[in-house]
Amino acid sequence: MKYQVVIAGIGGQGAVFLVKVLSIASSLKNVKCLGTENHGMSQRGGSVSCFVKVGDFFSPAIDEAQADLLIALEGNEALRNIQYLKKDGGTIIVNADSNFPLTGYETISIDAFAKAKNKELPIQALNVYMLGITLARDPHFPFAQEEIEEAIRVMNPKVAAQNIEVLHQAMQDARR
Amino acid sequence: MKEILMGNDAIALALIHSGVDMISGYPGTPSSEIIGNFQKYAKNFKLQTYAQWATNEKVGFEVAYAGAIAGKKTCATMKQVGLNVASDALMSASYIGLKGAMLLISADDPGFHSSQTEQDSRAFAKFAKIPVLDPATPQEAYDMVKLGIEISHKFETVVMLRPVMRVSHAREICEVDDGLDFQPNIGNFERNIARWAAVPPAGRFRQGLEQLERLEAIKAFNWNYFLEPQVANLKHSKTLILASGTGFGYAKEALGEQNIQADVLKIDMPYPLPKEQIEALFTDYEQVIVFEESYPCIEEQLSSPKLHGKLTHDVHKIDEFSKDKVLAAFSNIGLIKKSTFYKGAKYTKELPNRPPNLCPGCPHRDVFFSVMKVFRKKSSIFPSDIGCYTLGLNQGAIDTVLCMGGSISMASGFSIADPNKTIVASIGDSTFMHSGISPLINAVYQNHKFILLIMDNSTTAMTGRQATPERANPSSIDIKKIIEGCGVACFEYVYEPNIDQTIAFMKKLKEAYKTATGPVVAVIREFCVLDKDRAPQMLPRIFAQVDPDKCVACDICTTQYKCPPMHYNDAHKIEVDPFLCIGCSACIDELCPTGAFERIEEEK
Repeated sequence: MKYQVVIAGIGGQGAVFLVKVLSIASSLKNVKCLGTENHGMSQRGGSVSCFVKVGDFFSPAIDEAQADLLIALEGNEALRNIQYLKKDGGTIIVNADSNFPLTGYETISIDAFAKAKNKELPIQALNVYMLGITLARDPHFPFAQEEIEEAIRVMNPKVAAQNIEVLHQAMQDARR
Repeated sequence: MKEILMGNDAIALALIHSGVDMISGYPGTPSSEIIGNFQKYAKNFKLQTYAQWATNEKVGFEVAYAGAIAGKKTCATMKQVGLNVASDALMSASYIGLKGAMLLISADDPGFHSSQTEQDSRAFAKFAKIPVLDPATPQEAYDMVKLGIEISHKFETVVMLRPVMRVSHAREICEVDDGLDFQPNIGNFERNIARWAAVPPAGRFRQGLEQLERLEAIKAFNWNYFLEPQVANLKHSKTLILASGTGFGYAKEALGEQNIQADVLKIDMPYPLPKEQIEALFTDYEQVIVFEESYPCIEEQLSSPKLHGKLTHDVHKIDEFSKDKVLAAFSNIGLIKKSTFYKGAKYTKELPNRPPNLCPGCPHRDVFFSVMKVFRKKSSIFPSDIGCYTLGLNQGAIDTVLCMGGSISMASGFSIADPNKTIVASIGDSTFMHSGISPLINAVYQNHKFILLIMDNSTTAMTGRQATPERANPSSIDIKKIIEGCGVACFEYVYEPNIDQTIAFMKKLKEAYKTATGPVVAVIREFCVLDKDRAPQMLPRIFAQVDPDKCVACDICTTQYKCPPMHYNDAHKIEVDPFLCIGCSACIDELCPTGAFERIEEEK
């Protein structure tokens, strides 16, 4: 199995958290995983793009036209990174409103900012929320719900219950 | 056992597993997490270790090196430009050698992600004549730390580990040692003046000869340990690839995915290379390609008409490596047709740029805004330095950025070269401690006239908020006393989220400058909004909103102040993004000429 994920967002939105969760989920499945993160200058509110490569890989970076999935925590950051998606079969899961343009890729968009403004969602859990959307809507996503939940527990047991609640909420919202 | 580790985490754990109990360095992306993680492991395992941030890389190197001379296993960490600072000590240490072991970790940043240069620390190892190990992944980084400590002890030399950002900040499921067999090593300095204090010319000449002998022995080790075991696996296709570090990963993946036939010789120790043995392998091949980042370190040590790389213009010379660049090299040499396999289609319409910016609520923003209000841009020069405050660029408050501490010496230089302009230099507290004190003494004794702002947020913010000397030991170390000790008065301003007051302070400095005959120095006591200990007390948590009737869309807040939550809405009025605003209250009342920012009364 080989699956390459680009996680795009703005510094501070918790993209690195998702890299950690997917690495832990891979380890629970006993699958190889290489990821790479942004630190330093790029954390200061700038554009952030992290990579996760699940399966037999030797290099942590993802080349253009290779990613199976792009999880974007913000609309413009999705567009800024679409060149990483596979020309055939790449999927975008994006937090964006209805103005998100057609790109030719399979796109699942949900306006998580609007939900946060309506106090339906804590903004700090945006990353976990988008992971829930991914679980519900990406049929090729190589992890099961239980594996992601376990990874969230391993990652930080103290806040796991809240995060898993957000995950469930996202999965429900995504199926509506 | 298996553990999911970031590269810098793997390095820290391997240092503990190697018995290193003395580590020193200066933070710098992508190396910064090594010491922090080492401290975390030492605490978890209840080990007695020395793991401290030094005032700069040279100091950090020298502390660790003395430990190794006294027989301990030690480590110094830094980023590649930090090695420039430590290089004075390194060059001599390479002649002298050591008794215990010392690993010098210098993390590189191909692609300029968080650095001002793309320099290759392996080239520095070659310059200094010390062996260097180049890991491709966090697992290799773990293994090579342990190996590096052994090599250092065996050959009595400093050994460099050179992880790049894609190793330091990569995450991998690593196989690491199960138990912990940690024996604190006891230092015992044995007097040997001829060695530890060798004087030129005779003493150093002798050590130079020993250094050359040592290199030959390490070359033989490189061949026997790393290279010869791979020779049997070479399949004698037409092309041989020599790949080092991340270059190996990119090459290996690209060859597999594109079904290109080529043999790969992985170079784990890119210096010193057993040139004759490696070149002897070339006879079986039509061409040899070197994949390494970022300088042609391996390529420069070899010679053959069959050799292709950066020097022959076949492999890229700048920017981060990629699989696309592997294919480009094959195509440049004429082995494959030009390929677009690793080329994606970028989004073609314009996207708003999102450059790094000072955090919402950061006091630096108010300081730069006030500088720009008080000092006329046309008749001023603004030298600055390396740190978060470099992002004052966004506010037009910075003209030059060179290197750690450069702001102060450059202010001196500008005051001589262009004396009709007012020079307002800015530097952070950690950078001042690192390299700012000697240029300040230089300016005081030579009467160079400029204004210096020491923006003291009491942490090394950009690299992840490592402790500064003043923060760690406030009763002994005070920037104000240091400035006064340099022979100049110190103005002091305790930051308040009140722009009028910050402007008033800048005006006071401007007045002092008029009659000054030397530097006018000020320390501004700020805080970092990400500082979990101090920020909660410092932030008033008074949140702002905009009265749309008062907003006249004058652009002052979006072009001069540039706080991330402030943006235009569809009605072309400024709005404050409630998710980004952290309630510093600085914009309320004084920032907007029409007073459009007002406090949100309800409890948030």
